[in-house]
Amino acid sequence: MSAAFAVTSLHKRFRTRFGRTESLALDGVDLEMPRGEAFGLIGPNGAGKTTFIKCLLGISHPDSGTVELLGGRPEDPRSRARVGYLPERLTLPGAWTPRAFLASVTRLKHLRPERPVVDELLQRVGLSDAADRKIRGFSKGMRQRLGLAAALVGAPDLLVLDEPTDGVDPLGRVEIRQLLAAELARGASLFINSHLLSETERICSRIGILCRGRLVRSGPLAALTAVQQRWRARFAAGSAPPADALLALGFQPADGSVWEIAAADAPALNRALDGARATGALLVELERASRDLEDVLTEALAAGTA
Amino acid sequence: MTSFAVALDLLREAAARRWFLALGLALTALLMLLLTSLRLEVVDGALAASRLFGQPLHHSIQAADVALRPVFRVASQIVFWGGLVFGVLSCADFGPALLSPGRIEHLLSLPVRRWELLAGTFLGVLALALAGAVYASAGLVLVLGAKTGVWTGWPVVSAVFAAVAFGSVYAGMLAVTVWVRSAALSAAAGASLVVLGLLATHRIALLDLMGQGIGRALFAGVTAVVPPLGKLADAAGALASSAPLAPGGLLRLLAGTVAFAAALLAVAMWRFDRRDF
Repeated sequence: MSAAFAVTSLHKRFRTRFGRTESLALDGVDLEMPRGEAFGLIGPNGAGKTTFIKCLLGISHPDSGTVELLGGRPEDPRSRARVGYLPERLTLPGAWTPRAFLASVTRLKHLRPERPVVDELLQRVGLSDAADRKIRGFSKGMRQRLGLAAALVGAPDLLVLDEPTDGVDPLGRVEIRQLLAAELARGASLFINSHLLSETERICSRIGILCRGRLVRSGPLAALTAVQQRWRARFAAGSAPPADALLALGFQPADGSVWEIAAADAPALNRALDGARATGALLVELERASRDLEDVLTEALAAGTA
Repeated sequence: MTSFAVALDLLREAAARRWFLALGLALTALLMLLLTSLRLEVVDGALAASRLFGQPLHHSIQAADVALRPVFRVASQIVFWGGLVFGVLSCADFGPALLSPGRIEHLLSLPVRRWELLAGTFLGVLALALAGAVYASAGLVLVLGAKTGVWTGWPVVSAVFAAVAFGSVYAGMLAVTVWVRSAALSAAAGASLVVLGLLATHRIALLDLMGQGIGRALFAGVTAVVPPLGKLADAAGALASSAPLAPGGLLRLLAGTVAFAAALLAVAMWRFDRRDF
């Protein structure tokens, strides 16, 4: 099975109206996203995230490089027919009802706009009660939900969502996360561009960090957030040896009965644990120490801008 | 098919706009006013007397169909020029709205070819122009037909000319919009094309008045390609009033107008296909 998308050496410059070079938005991005996974693209404002999405979907034309979308070219309507896209700021027809808007999107996707299907989509995004209201009276969160429903039309193989939870209240975010989890379970691939690192962390299993048009980090979330050669050990309450003993063995206090230890390899780790147990400590939990996505992003950006 | 779906969406959007609601209401009110205020007395097929708001209109007794010819001719001119001006003002925003940020990205992510989006927008506006022109003309034919017993379809056919003329103007407006997304600029382009179309109507006479030079060459070049809208309006008026027309000349006029619109649309599509959003 081919990738959900694969881009190679993607370059995009934006020029002024008279052809003078203005800025480099994408600078040789290589990225392949496996099917059936959730990928989160993060990075600061102006990093090129939205430009990347636009090039991916054929909305903008890259200066050089190749883009393969679901095994085809983004310019091919058959490829785009299998994609659902939620732009960052979707402009909706204010005089229409959500039902009419979704029916229009369905027609443009060459599908029959059957009312039960449209109603089910509205129900999935929590807009059943507003199905016959004019869109112009919708809040930002409701518009975002409607945009999401439009992206879900036709059960696409790839969902490309630019800030999907922007403007949505915390409870709504939980609902959207559940909805996206259901899409993943169905077999869809998810590509999310978000400023909300905690949201990205909760939804995505793979992460890419874009900085100044370059992909500075990419890989499984667990691998990116893992701190190499560092472990967290928790000892049973009451059995913890004197702090001096653990400090002497190289342990560092972390949180209550949790201690961190740096170990270059498995024998070194076991030697340290054996030493702690020899002092009477009972090990109840051991895990690789990890950072949150914010730390990873900060470090990646520092390296990327250096 | 996709272009028709885009055109249908545009018509739905237009139905919610005040401009078109106002036009529909104004036309209906005008027709209702004529229906209730105009009294025509027809005796043996001749128009014997006419009253508007109770006041007699002085004219000699003549056959009803002959008496109605100038009415239809004037109505055709009003539909033609009034339709052009109204169309330029009210439709200037459709192109920029299509290309508005947040909307065009979504449309381009759907399985729709770029040219289909432009063609659909053009078709939708053309359908709107045609509907307005035909509604006004058919309404007048119905009102006058009911009052005089004279039934003719030519004023309705002449309304199609008005829609064709507006199509050529709107193609220019759309082409400009693809370069610069601005309703004001789109309307300015439409107004310029209407003026140029008028100048092209009197091209030969105006060229005779001009001295040699680059200005004359430019004017000659531009007015050679812009449809002579005045001639088209005259042809529509003649058709509406059942006056004789040279079929060859009319066909050439229509073919030239359609070719002009098609060329501008092709340029717009070429540019649209290469644009980034």
